[in-house]
Amino acid sequence: MLKTENLQNLKAKAFQAIDSRVRAITAGLDLEELRAVLRGDPPTERPNPRYKVHTTSFIFHIRPRYYEKGSTIFTHTFRLGFFTSFFFFIEVLTGLILMIYYTPSPEQAYQSILDLTSNVPFGKLLRDMHRLGAEGMVIFTVLHMFRTYMTGSYKKDRSFTWLTGVVLLGITLFLSFSGYLLPWDQLAYWAVTIGTSMAEAAPAFGNEVNLLMRGAPDIGTGGLLRFYLLHVVLLPLAAILVISIHYYKVSREHGISLPASMEEGDVPAEVKKNAKQKIDFIPDLLTHEVFLTSLGLFLMVVIIIVFGYSAPLENIANPQQTPLDTMAPWYFWWLQGMLKLGDKSLMGIVIPTILVLLLVGVPYIDRNPHRSLYKRPLAVGIGILFVLGLVVLSYMGLPEYGIETPPATRIVQDLAPEEGTGPLRQIPFEQLQPGVYEVNVTPTTKMCPELDFGCPQLEAVFKQYSDRLNEAGQAGQLPDFSAVMIIEDWQQNLKKVTPRITWFDLESGQARVYEQHIYLHHDRLGH
Amino acid sequence: MNTRVQIEIALGILFISITATILIIVGLNEESRMERFALAQSAQAIEVGAVLFEINCSDCHGSNGQGVPGLCPPLNDLNFFENRLTDVGWSGTQEDYIVSVVSSGRATSTRPEYFGAGIPAMPAWSEHYGGPLRDDQIRNIATFIMNWEATAGEAIGQPALPSEPVGQDITIELPEANPARGEGLANSQGCVACHISTPTGPAWGATASEPAIGARAATRFQQADYTGTAVTAEQYLFESIVLPNIHVIAGFAPVMPETYGQILTEQDMADLIAYLLTAFE
Repeated sequence: MLKTENLQNLKAKAFQAIDSRVRAITAGLDLEELRAVLRGDPPTERPNPRYKVHTTSFIFHIRPRYYEKGSTIFTHTFRLGFFTSFFFFIEVLTGLILMIYYTPSPEQAYQSILDLTSNVPFGKLLRDMHRLGAEGMVIFTVLHMFRTYMTGSYKKDRSFTWLTGVVLLGITLFLSFSGYLLPWDQLAYWAVTIGTSMAEAAPAFGNEVNLLMRGAPDIGTGGLLRFYLLHVVLLPLAAILVISIHYYKVSREHGISLPASMEEGDVPAEVKKNAKQKIDFIPDLLTHEVFLTSLGLFLMVVIIIVFGYSAPLENIANPQQTPLDTMAPWYFWWLQGMLKLGDKSLMGIVIPTILVLLLVGVPYIDRNPHRSLYKRPLAVGIGILFVLGLVVLSYMGLPEYGIETPPATRIVQDLAPEEGTGPLRQIPFEQLQPGVYEVNVTPTTKMCPELDFGCPQLEAVFKQYSDRLNEAGQAGQLPDFSAVMIIEDWQQNLKKVTPRITWFDLESGQARVYEQHIYLHHDRLGH
Repeated sequence: MNTRVQIEIALGILFISITATILIIVGLNEESRMERFALAQSAQAIEVGAVLFEINCSDCHGSNGQGVPGLCPPLNDLNFFENRLTDVGWSGTQEDYIVSVVSSGRATSTRPEYFGAGIPAMPAWSEHYGGPLRDDQIRNIATFIMNWEATAGEAIGQPALPSEPVGQDITIELPEANPARGEGLANSQGCVACHISTPTGPAWGATASEPAIGARAATRFQQADYTGTAVTAEQYLFESIVLPNIHVIAGFAPVMPETYGQILTEQDMADLIAYLLTAFE
């Protein structure tokens, strides 16, 4: 009997020991309570031990104990702020690992990206995630801001939070932009050259700002190091600081706003009361956040692996050669569009500064106390017009708008762009049947009778080439043109494709020739 | 009825497991993906090298690396891939040798009897030695040149002469000429590189101040400052090809190789002269 008693004692003791360990690890929840949390049961003790965690645990003390029920409605927040911070954490984690493989010098940066892709397991996935996360962070920051504006959540005691949000928008854009340069490819080099040259437009100190960013008149060793340090030290630190302030205001001071209809709408008192019901962080909000995190990771992996999203990598940066169709990153296209409209200082510095000041000043300019969409038509109208304006300006920033490329150059560039793939480089290697194919002479069907399955992709590209030329010929851009596409065997596994266009130039009264030599290797990616 | 918390836990576990499964599949394929990427990387190096070779090297080494007799050796033949390293006593790999020579150039030629004309034999191309190219560009050119190795067996390097070389005696009797063949020789021997494409040597066509080569040949040997021994237009051209430095036209440097007498046959010489005398008006 004594033995059994001892055993029971031991069991109880062991249970107690485990229980207190669990309490220590979960910062206040015992074993039974933990199971209740996971089952979604109500708390087992009073006072609610789930609140205790928020005082004893560092991680949880940052988080609020509860949200008001009305503020958790999906169509009110769309979880945009959550996903913005989700992407920030993704960037920090992937970025820390990427730093191990990266060398910030013009001689080695590009090679380190190649090595990462060809010699580090999951290296490409990491880089793709980092890039996708960066795009996601920019997109969700902007959407989050637009939602906040539309629901009028910047008003009254939230005006300072709005200000920190504007600062975070700037930090996010510059984090993304500073990371752009690091791969040291043509895309990086020229996008950043264009971006920094916008700063040059500033009156009086523009040249100095440009010099400070680039480290020299042209981006080189110094410029790359500056962008690298901005990207991995200064901007992340600034982001962590301002995100902390931004989040502290939300979690400790004013919480997430309620939908305007529930706060000020003409609804029954019980609806208002219901909206103010507390939803506890543990377990409801915590499970929801873990769920959203797993959804986010799942979607990112699916977009990269299944849909083939790939972080771009062009040829190594060449300061001597500006590629055709050079662009700033997409979130600065609106700025490029504005620069096409007028004076560089006015459009590149004065108006953007005014826009930023307006964004900062939104809570102070808009004195309308109402938050409902219907009670502030002016603010909503301006918001929508502002977004439409950005879209139109972004379109005007594209190279298609307002920049004339000579027609022959344009046609060949669209077939085989200087950077990137294009239809010509996608033709399977076997279909590149050597020969001289003359536009409007060689039929665009059955071009390779010797091949078992013909060469449909070569035919499609040759047809596109012919059609574009005929269009340009009829439009009078290429008077009296003749054109060929020559395919030659050049080396083992290497073919040379030469599109050559001859036309009569009316201005100079002479025949002009444009040709490009494109080399295609059997083992290239993208066929 | 399940609560929202339970549904979210179930869905979350599902998402995590699918994500983990995808990652395991990706992990199993990483080895082959990395190999494929490395292959594509060297393919891209060859493509980029081909463009750089065309811009920087083909004027001298031929558009297809076949070389230009008297000027630059072929890079696509068996001799280059089998004998060159022992000829120069290079202990590293062929690719390293190419990178080294392209970067820093060569002061003297390996076989000056064939390709000894230029001074220096090969200029330095690396930006570290005053050239225009970056290190990565030079490596790409080397990768492109190395890609000729597989087909080098078929390429004919230094063509065997079909009959005895013509030598430097300009008074010998030449066989009946075929000017059309002469035009082919002017191209394949690289004459056009200096005499048509670039102003290194006197242009064959008529210029603002001078008539075409045929008319010039007919009068030049009679001029007072003429330092050669020719007495006919044909002999003057013959002499200009095999002994180019005996009479250098004012304004040009004595850079034309003196090796054509060992490369061209009597038939070649006759065809070339006939072409030069008749083709340019």
